[in-house]
Amino acid sequence: MDTSLNPPHTTEATHDEAGNSMFGFIVFLISESVIFLSFFAGYIGYKLMTPNWLPPGVEGLEVRDPAINTVILVSSSFVIYIAERYLHSKNLWGFRFFLLATILMGTYFLYGQAVEWQSLKFGFTSGVFGGTFYLLTGFHGLHVFTGVFLQTTMLLRSFIPGNYDSGEFGVEATGLFWHFVDVIWIILFVLIYVWQ
Amino acid sequence: MKLWNILLLIAVALGLTAVSLWMGQQAYSWFPPQASAESKLIDGLFSFLTVLGTFIFLGVTGTLLYSVLFQQAAKYDMSDGPPIEGNITLEVVWTVIPILLVVWIATYSYNVYQQMAITGPMEMSHMHSMASAAPLDAEDAMTNPIVLETSPEPAEKIEVFAKQWSWVFRYPENITSSELHLPNNRRIRLLMQSADVIHGFYIPAFRLKQDIIPQQPINFEFTPIRLGTYRLTDSQYSGTYFATMSANVVVQDPEDYQKWLVDAASRKPTVASNQAAAEYFRESKKPIKTSWPTVVPVEAPLVNYHSEQDKR
Amino acid sequence: MTNIVIEPIHHEHPPTTWRTYFTFSTDHKVIGIQYLVTAFVFLMLGGIFAMIMRGELITPESDLVDRNVYNALFTMHGTIMLFGWTFPALAGLANYLVPLMIGARDMAFPRLNAAAFWMVPVVGILLMGSFLLPGGPAQAGWWSYPPVSLQNPSHELISGQSVWLVAVAISGVSSIMGAVNFVTTIIRMRAPGMTPFKTPVFVWAVFSAQIIQLFGLPALTAGAVMLLLDLTAGTAFFDPAKGGNPIFYQHFFWFYSHPAVYVIALPVFGIFSELLPVYARKPLFGYRIVAVSSLMISALSALVWVHHMFASGTPGWMRMFFMATTMCVAVPTGIKVFAWVATVWGGKLRLDTPMLFALSGVVMFVFAGITGIMLGAVPIDIHVNNTYFVVGHFHYILYGTVTMGIYAAIYHWFPKMTGRMYSEGLGKLHFVLAFIGTNLNFLPMHPLGLQGMLRRVSSYAPEYAFWNVIASLGGFLLGMSTLPFILNIVGSWVQGNKAPANPWRAIGLEWLVSSPPPVENFDEIPIVISEPYGYGKSEPLTSNLG
Repeated sequence: MDTSLNPPHTTEATHDEAGNSMFGFIVFLISESVIFLSFFAGYIGYKLMTPNWLPPGVEGLEVRDPAINTVILVSSSFVIYIAERYLHSKNLWGFRFFLLATILMGTYFLYGQAVEWQSLKFGFTSGVFGGTFYLLTGFHGLHVFTGVFLQTTMLLRSFIPGNYDSGEFGVEATGLFWHFVDVIWIILFVLIYVWQ
Repeated sequence: MKLWNILLLIAVALGLTAVSLWMGQQAYSWFPPQASAESKLIDGLFSFLTVLGTFIFLGVTGTLLYSVLFQQAAKYDMSDGPPIEGNITLEVVWTVIPILLVVWIATYSYNVYQQMAITGPMEMSHMHSMASAAPLDAEDAMTNPIVLETSPEPAEKIEVFAKQWSWVFRYPENITSSELHLPNNRRIRLLMQSADVIHGFYIPAFRLKQDIIPQQPINFEFTPIRLGTYRLTDSQYSGTYFATMSANVVVQDPEDYQKWLVDAASRKPTVASNQAAAEYFRESKKPIKTSWPTVVPVEAPLVNYHSEQDKR
Repeated sequence: MTNIVIEPIHHEHPPTTWRTYFTFSTDHKVIGIQYLVTAFVFLMLGGIFAMIMRGELITPESDLVDRNVYNALFTMHGTIMLFGWTFPALAGLANYLVPLMIGARDMAFPRLNAAAFWMVPVVGILLMGSFLLPGGPAQAGWWSYPPVSLQNPSHELISGQSVWLVAVAISGVSSIMGAVNFVTTIIRMRAPGMTPFKTPVFVWAVFSAQIIQLFGLPALTAGAVMLLLDLTAGTAFFDPAKGGNPIFYQHFFWFYSHPAVYVIALPVFGIFSELLPVYARKPLFGYRIVAVSSLMISALSALVWVHHMFASGTPGWMRMFFMATTMCVAVPTGIKVFAWVATVWGGKLRLDTPMLFALSGVVMFVFAGITGIMLGAVPIDIHVNNTYFVVGHFHYILYGTVTMGIYAAIYHWFPKMTGRMYSEGLGKLHFVLAFIGTNLNFLPMHPLGLQGMLRRVSSYAPEYAFWNVIASLGGFLLGMSTLPFILNIVGSWVQGNKAPANPWRAIGLEWLVSSPPPVENFDEIPIVISEPYGYGKSEPLTSNLG
């Protein structure tokens, strides 16, 4: 990167940079949600219109374990919120503790997803049902993984002195992303596991 | 506005109307012959839209042209024009009139579509099982078939098989043909199926088109009204030899049609000529392959009847 | 939080040389020009493909190139023209102009901006590179409809089709990054005093277009991902042999790709709205309603996509519903056209090159709009769908309106961007050749389509020959018309007359700074006090800059 040719941006008239960043991040999340909405629309369309929806030998999906995973994932949204509150009141160790808890809960969710996938009797190529199931849960899982990765990065950066001098945008964005991931999961859970 | 201006405007509008109506008449000559009952409806709708479109196009272009010719800035005049920023009346008028026009056009088009009653795919909410299907059927209840000399129940039911890259037509009693023969002035129902990719059933002279989706047999109905030979072409891009996938459509008097059926039944099935297969064969004979791999055309079909003429 | 601080900024910046344009610069003006030049290269590439196609179509038989070469050509022509020319060129214009027009120093996220740009050459390299694959490039049309796009005769995992899908996905990521940037910039970084109804129409148009990108592109991405999985991983989404539904792909595809045409058209409408007042010396007629109509078009465009599927596996009720919504789009579009005519009427016209391109763009757009209404009527579309009538319609939009509009913008803002004046004589020559070429090339496509000639065919019945010859001659003329343009731009950039800050005596924030603008755009951030297009009113645009 040839920085000498890039005009330095000062606090003048670039206005409220952190505010811009949050605005942009929210705009991005809205766009990202449309991908999920498209997949959801596809899922609903396929379910309503495909004869022989379930692959042969498959009666339906087990709901109990995914429901437990759901509870853990959704609760983790509250946990990360608590973490953010601690950071806001400058309590770094409180922040780190609850952030770590979130990371563990998110990781457990991923583990639970992997266990469920292992136990299933159909694959990615098992008709439209298999394709949409793994596509939706996989794409969501990718976002969970990204969320956990972001949280881990935030956790590590909390140890850098002076990290929050110019604001807490990174943490706020990570928290918002995590809430987004959870809302998507709730819709997904209802569509795939509840509506069978 | 001054009286003179109003009169001038009315004169211009009348002139434009005359030209537009004339253009609407010309529009009929831009089409192939009207070989189906539905074609009359479509040509009429198109002519109507041509009249409206000509009026609007000439109006806008004429106004701009007038400005360009007579309202240029004088050579050393650096001043601005009049600071006119809007006119509520004008803006309301040119919003309301298009809305009314749009409603008129949409209603006219809706009526034409209902009268065409071509059938096509049914409500998608309850599809039949795909592999072996009772074909999807019409919204017969909603439609009013055209009253020409046709009976409400289709007189002829013919199956159409589309595959890369040939058309095969199967008549009752398992008579197959590579040409589509049809009796004049009888309502036809086709049951169309594709063996591989999406093809499009399109006869320009009939103004009718319907895509054929694999695993989704489709009914399609219409009424030929003119004797002659027409062209059926694949209209949905279907791969390497897409441009070659065409067939003759022969509309005959009902008696001649019956005779043709009897004659076709008596023939043993032989291989019809198929342009895609022929071209592919020629390509594969070349010692050095210059083109990219292609889907292999299905074998030229075995049919009772095929015309000896070379097809394009 | 931090407040807006108005103070003069003085920084030392090394001068911009030609080398700057090959770097990861975060200056929106550099990025804008990078987009424009890259896009023009794709216009030339896509144009060469078109010339070969017109060469094939000058005779009825398939006698110039092999059939699958022809199929690859029309596929890549469409893909490159859309994803390599129109989207990047308009992104480039928007990038260059929006910060200047709103009184900002740069976009909200300069590095994101640069990253988004550099994905475009990658997309181009992937697409052009696919010609070297054993199976050749994608050959299923720029829509890539399954099942044809799934057939993969070469049976390679890395096929032209899979590379195509990856390229389109990357293009989508680049566009979404750009959309986030534009929307944030326009909402949050307008100069003090620039309320929505003191904002230039081009900015409204870019905003409306980028909203579509944000909400529509992800649907295309979803469809492309599913198609890629079908192609490479054996899933069953769109493959009828495995229980999939190819019509679903069409819905995913068109849900974005219809609004996409408005992503392309809206900024061009914005260009017309900016230029006509300057060259007629009159305010934009009905400025507020023209501005708002951009958003209306944006919203309506999301509700019409099935009109691309009238002959497909769609039920009658769906065809009727979408016919109604499609017709409605004519209303806000008509408002714009009438407003442009009223802007020009009674003005003091100067027929410089930008004005010629803009006026002809409007006229050709009206023609295309009329054929568009015809296509929106289901019974007519059932006849002309997939024929040359459609090809004629959209080329009057994509060339006659959009490309002519982009040329108008380039000529108009060339002095601002480069500090040089272009040659008016060469500009007018370019215009005359392009205008004649466009009409000769694309007008004959309408009778061809009405007669039933299909699109995407490498050969046709002999009765279509006459109009095809004319269209091909027009196409060659159109290709040649770019020569005076290239000569003009390159020659003028290198040694044209120096341009003043405001050669057109136009009203707008970008004209208040030097040509080219300083790196930071404005010494002082302007404070806007009046509405745009105040011709004939002699009120200053700002309270501090004149």
